[in-house]
Amino acid sequence: MWQAIQARETGRTPCNSFANQLKSRRISSLQLCNRKDFVSPHRGAVNSLQVDLTEGRYLLSGASDGSAAVFDTQRATDSEASGLIEKHKCVFSVDKGHEHGHRFAVSSAVWYPIDTGLFVTGSFDHLIKVWDTNTAQAVVDFKMPGKVYRTAMSSLAMSHTLIAAGTEDVQVRLCDIASGAFSHTLSGHRDGVMSVEWSTSSEWVLYTGGCDGAIRFWDIRRAGCFRVLDQSVTQLGVRPPILKHSAVSTKVSAEKSSSGAKNRLKTLHTRPSVEKARQKRLHPGMLSTLDRATAHYGVVTGLKATNDGMYLLSAGKNKAVGYSIGCNTLLNFETGRLQTSKAIQMATSDDPALVFVPCMKTVKAFGMWSGRTTLMFRGHYESVNTCCFNSTDQELYTSGADRQILVWSPGGSVEGEMDQDEEAAEDKDNWSD
Amino acid sequence: MKNITNPETSVAAAGGKKRRREEEEEVGGSHAANEDECFSLQDELTFSDTSVALRMMRAQFPRIDQASVPPFILQSQLYSSLNDRTQVDRELERLRRDKVVRVFKLNTGQDDHAIIFLDDYLYQVDRIAKRMEENKQSDTDIFKWFKEHVLDSKLEPSIAHHELCSLLALGGKVKDAHITLLINAGLLTRQLIDPDMYWFAIPSIGKLWKALLQGRKELLSLLKRKRHKEMFLAELEKRRLRYSPLDMRFHIRDLIGSGHLKTFQTTSGLVVRVSND
Repeated sequence: MWQAIQARETGRTPCNSFANQLKSRRISSLQLCNRKDFVSPHRGAVNSLQVDLTEGRYLLSGASDGSAAVFDTQRATDSEASGLIEKHKCVFSVDKGHEHGHRFAVSSAVWYPIDTGLFVTGSFDHLIKVWDTNTAQAVVDFKMPGKVYRTAMSSLAMSHTLIAAGTEDVQVRLCDIASGAFSHTLSGHRDGVMSVEWSTSSEWVLYTGGCDGAIRFWDIRRAGCFRVLDQSVTQLGVRPPILKHSAVSTKVSAEKSSSGAKNRLKTLHTRPSVEKARQKRLHPGMLSTLDRATAHYGVVTGLKATNDGMYLLSAGKNKAVGYSIGCNTLLNFETGRLQTSKAIQMATSDDPALVFVPCMKTVKAFGMWSGRTTLMFRGHYESVNTCCFNSTDQELYTSGADRQILVWSPGGSVEGEMDQDEEAAEDKDNWSD
Repeated sequence: MKNITNPETSVAAAGGKKRRREEEEEVGGSHAANEDECFSLQDELTFSDTSVALRMMRAQFPRIDQASVPPFILQSQLYSSLNDRTQVDRELERLRRDKVVRVFKLNTGQDDHAIIFLDDYLYQVDRIAKRMEENKQSDTDIFKWFKEHVLDSKLEPSIAHHELCSLLALGGKVKDAHITLLINAGLLTRQLIDPDMYWFAIPSIGKLWKALLQGRKELLSLLKRKRHKEMFLAELEKRRLRYSPLDMRFHIRDLIGSGHLKTFQTTSGLVVRVSND
């Protein structure tokens, strides 16, 4: 460690790579933290975790008992065991007893991306509430047509403050905090929308994953989605292939009107005779509703865009795959079985490129380009729902159905890293079978 | 036994594993079928290359006399036989694009895909065409058009109705009765996911499909009944399944690949355990 610092002083290692090396060493030694603990006030499964984007200090969690709580990750409220273990109690929490609290489970809680003065919670009681953090009061309410599965706000947004909401209704709605009204309704999915994610490269692009298995890309400045991911459009390798000129068919021949689509999903009637191509005039924005491609054979439970905006990771019933913008990269993360009834939240870290995916009771970290399991975190007693990676401290926060929020931090203290060169005196009596 | 190096084998990911040394021989195994009973599954659980794995597993496919089904390999079996799943996916994609194999989606409710070598599949299609001709059903040209136009150009496991019609129309005038004929022959099917799409199917797969589901259930219940839900692989392999004509090796590979079972090494050999994740 001293040698590395000396190399940085003399200019042999550039500053950025020194910081990156240190971070990757810390990340590869992540384990259950024995110094820090969050005292969770929740009495139901914790469904959503997010660290705020401005300071990386406050952790917001939403749980199935209708409560949302904020924790300070850097300053402990009290400590146990003579200062060795820090306990972090929640700074405040809003639950069913609160006069404006949610009545049913909170499925998603996200910070306002500009500062920590506001946060947004979406719940199964069909409401999205915007809360003022300092007074713990609900400022704006949006009523949705169905249970809210996920809400998202764009971290890049310079010109809009839209909340994207995915509900059990087939339409994705965008709510505007400034005006208090719905600004957009995006139709195209054929079943509820379980995961919503804004793009990390453009403030106008939204990715949604539905219960029908489709992943759609929307540009909110125009009508309709501009891409539907298809799992059979694949690329061999990490880089997308150079596109040949592809023939785009604008009018799809021989199809029925899209309004009958929902009913036909349930019945399997015999197909009538092949009729002449009936071209129905559809608004160009609605043409995408006819595209039936699916990205997964089941529900898309989680979406995560990488920080550079080039790849999208999606999780479905039994697999988590990576899509480069447009094609299936055929990256197969060896996840085993994933839970399908609830949305999961994945996390990514940049350097080393890792993806953290909750798989039933464990959280597995996969190398992003190799797909192999590098780390496995076992600590929860029930299935894990979310993981959130704090890149400033290199800590991973996970939460699940056992109502706990666990912290995984790099093992070993800083002093231990400094003294790496000296031989640590081994306690030879400290062994067990 | 001599270790014949396979020129197309890519560099083995975790080279030097003792159990893999013994099965790099006999690629293209006509005599593998006779001799593979001598090798236990423990020795040849993993392979080094996707195409080697595919050919070895095809050679090990059990011969069932009642059903005339081409030998197929499940994708979960491939996952359990090779270390790197991403590599498997990519190599499989390459083989699919080079038209060496064809992938079919099976209607089991889970994400099962069956891989068949294209030659076997075409042979099967020809057999069905001949059988239909013998029964003097009308318009057996449809099979020829199907083979030439549809199978050649459409490599995915599913096809939309209008695309099917347009591709078949390249051969001649298409009527609805033709599509009915294809479905009756077992080459196309529809699944509950989407009423507009036809899925390519393996003809006369029904009996083996049922065998697959029942065999899986039986194997899992066999292991779950044990006190510690585990068993030695060598011992498990010797048992016979009552409800499935497919052999034990087939089911073990399949369940390991789909994550229901996991294996670990002990001092007395490999042990198979029901995974509880």
